[in-house]
Amino acid sequence: MKRLFIATLCLLQLSLCACSNDMNRRELDEINLIHIMGIDYSDGMYVLTAVFSSGQGADPEKNPSGSEDVSEGKGATPFEAFQDLKLKNKKTVSIANTGYFLIGETAAVEGIETCLDFLSRDETVKMESLVFITQGVNASYFISEGMKNGKMIHEDLEAVEQKLHELVTRIDNTLVNILNEMEDDLSGLLIPYLKTGEDSFNIGGYAVFDGLSLADYLDIDTSAGINIIKNIMRTYPIYLKKGVSLSVSSLKSRMKTELEEGLVWVDIHVDFESMVREVNTDEDIFRVEEQNTLTRLQNAYIEDILKKAVDYSKDTGRDILNIGRIIRNRYAKEWSGIRDEWKDMVPDIQYELHVRSRIAKSFILGNRR
Amino acid sequence: MENTINSAWIKKLFEKSSDITIRPIKINQNNITAHLFCVDGLVNQELFDEAVLKSIKFDSYLADCRTERETIDYLLEGGAYDAFTTEVSDYQKLLKNVLSGMAALIFDAEKKAVVYDLRKFEKRSIQEPTEENVMKGSKESFIEVLRMNTALIRRRLRSEYLVIEQLYAGRLSKTDIALVYLSNIANANTVNKIRSIIKSIDIDNVSTPAFIEEYLVENKLSIFPQIMYTQRPDRVSANLSDGRIALVVDGIPFVYILPCQLPMLMQSPDDYANHFLVGSSLRVIRYISMILTLFLPAFYIAATTYQNQMLPVQLALSTQAAKQNVPFSSAVEVLGLLISFEILIEAGLRLPQAVGTAMSILGGLVVGQSAVAANLISPAVVVIVALAGISGFIMPNQDLSSGIRLTRFVMALLASFAGFFGLAAGLILLVTHLCSLDNYGTAYMSPFVDVEERNIKDTVFRFPVKYFIKRPEDVAGQNSIKQGTGRADR
Repeated sequence: MKRLFIATLCLLQLSLCACSNDMNRRELDEINLIHIMGIDYSDGMYVLTAVFSSGQGADPEKNPSGSEDVSEGKGATPFEAFQDLKLKNKKTVSIANTGYFLIGETAAVEGIETCLDFLSRDETVKMESLVFITQGVNASYFISEGMKNGKMIHEDLEAVEQKLHELVTRIDNTLVNILNEMEDDLSGLLIPYLKTGEDSFNIGGYAVFDGLSLADYLDIDTSAGINIIKNIMRTYPIYLKKGVSLSVSSLKSRMKTELEEGLVWVDIHVDFESMVREVNTDEDIFRVEEQNTLTRLQNAYIEDILKKAVDYSKDTGRDILNIGRIIRNRYAKEWSGIRDEWKDMVPDIQYELHVRSRIAKSFILGNRR
Repeated sequence: MENTINSAWIKKLFEKSSDITIRPIKINQNNITAHLFCVDGLVNQELFDEAVLKSIKFDSYLADCRTERETIDYLLEGGAYDAFTTEVSDYQKLLKNVLSGMAALIFDAEKKAVVYDLRKFEKRSIQEPTEENVMKGSKESFIEVLRMNTALIRRRLRSEYLVIEQLYAGRLSKTDIALVYLSNIANANTVNKIRSIIKSIDIDNVSTPAFIEEYLVENKLSIFPQIMYTQRPDRVSANLSDGRIALVVDGIPFVYILPCQLPMLMQSPDDYANHFLVGSSLRVIRYISMILTLFLPAFYIAATTYQNQMLPVQLALSTQAAKQNVPFSSAVEVLGLLISFEILIEAGLRLPQAVGTAMSILGGLVVGQSAVAANLISPAVVVIVALAGISGFIMPNQDLSSGIRLTRFVMALLASFAGFFGLAAGLILLVTHLCSLDNYGTAYMSPFVDVEERNIKDTVFRFPVKYFIKRPEDVAGQNSIKQGTGRADR
């Protein structure tokens, strides 16, 4: 028994040693960890731009900056470009720790599935990495702008991610979500886009895809409408004309979808609470009548935003609210009959919007004017 | 002749020993002469004068005894001024008694001896425990004298069922060992087994605790302690009440407790001295520390050498930055520093306290800082090894701490061979090994591997005392009810 135990132990050790030869043993400092990757398409070639850290070393005083380096690779496909990128680097290149993938506008127009296919087949890639579209420019330009004057682009992108977390309760532009959405041909794929500002990046709204190609950019309000309908909005500012500003503090929405005689009816119910944030008027808004007026106004404000999202869907025939998926799941039998005509049915969807709200926590300070 | 009690033979046996006293004492006019046999230095001289010499010379009734038999009978019936006087007819027993500090009067014609327990030798006073100190609770700890230790236990368990069996081991040392248990609770099979093991110990000298431990431990190859020791009498009495068995060995300032399970080794007297939530949190910290000390160095090696995608982005980047310009691989760094750490500990133990402190500062701070500055090791490794090292010392039992420290090396080696695959294999082996250990009929990992819900109430979390209604079933042989529900009090 003892011999068997010792033999098993030795066998285990041997197999472990054998495994180690095939397990890509590489010290962390021998690897260039890409933390941002840009994917562009220009002149029939894919261009990958990788941003990685040039380490400080054990003694930070010798090299305090800990700056970022950029490397580029080109190829007929993104994978070929990635191989080119690897060849150009002195160290092994790894996307295991890449937190952000930026897809240039031209690459997105060319087709997002081509951009992301090689990533989906890499077993080390982080599936929670965020994907953004760079509006109007290539990702490489975006990166170079972000690194001007010794700035650290990954810090800007972390700030963007933080802002997203402040706005919505769930971030849907992770790699795994986008790959899942891409598999479903009914989904109106939405990926947030970034704009280059004066000295920083701004979150725009959603970039809308027709199939898997970039088709359009939504403005912030329309994107917010989508977030409200998807029930992921955490907070949203409301600016009323009376000089009063509020912010949505707690929002719940539900969507009821019915298919009757070939026509789709969608009831969207939104309930939210808001808090008074700014009062620049002489009127005493804390009277009951004024409160009712403000409530009506803020309902109308949110309804307008919802309408923008709904109207965009109806006008363009793009199912950005994923109604098709709901119909398919709920009316599986009828779905087979309308599946092929679904894109034509999207403009005819009948929406009904119901918005209810309450102003909460507003009487602490009263009217100070 | 050699195996009978005879003063001439004993005198010859000890003729070269200067501390052995054998001299004739004439008892009365009837020509009855006994031989005094004792060890100088182990006998209380004042008591000896009072109990032996004075009674022999001035007791008028003794003068009337005409034979040795009458004299012995009179001494045993109260003639001797010592409550612990016994008659011995076995030669070996006489030798053992006298060599352990008793005094004897040898009657050659009867081939018998009257033995007086007049032992008195220099001993340490009862002090605070050095390893198991508590803020609230008893400050007494065991000392090197067996009888004092059994008295400390008896003082806490005033039960008629408390049995203190006297055994001994060592052909030359004849070390006294007391087998202590509660006869109405302890498992009789376990008691018998331990008794037979002690009786079977056939060595010259029980000079260190390890000699006894090795005989009592069932799986001798395992580096994990399968026998618990404690310096605290209150802890022994608590374990005896649970049905466990204690072994008090003369010359060793702590008491062994059997059977032993892993959760027992993670318990500290402080857990019971504090509120149960505080006690539970301390235990949780201890278990977390055990995991940290076992796996943190191995995890670091695996994550920085093989599966670096396991690290969060920011952590990977900062670790990578810290590792730049360091010439050694992570495995060499970690293993080297772990070995250095062990060297520092060993050196600190051997050196005088004042020098030890200075050396710790020199070794830990100056050399560590210089090694980082010289790019020999990365700061991250220093943090990892220091955290693992400190976590290892949180273990309340030093044997467990040593076992874990050795296992930590094995884990680090496996991780350096095969990354997380090696670590997983090591974890599987470790859990299999621990679960396969059996300790006097109880599983070493009990109650984690038990189906009995009641046993889990004093493991990772310490439930309030009112829930400890029953004793561990696998330990206590009978009488499983430990306390009332306490409802009547309310």
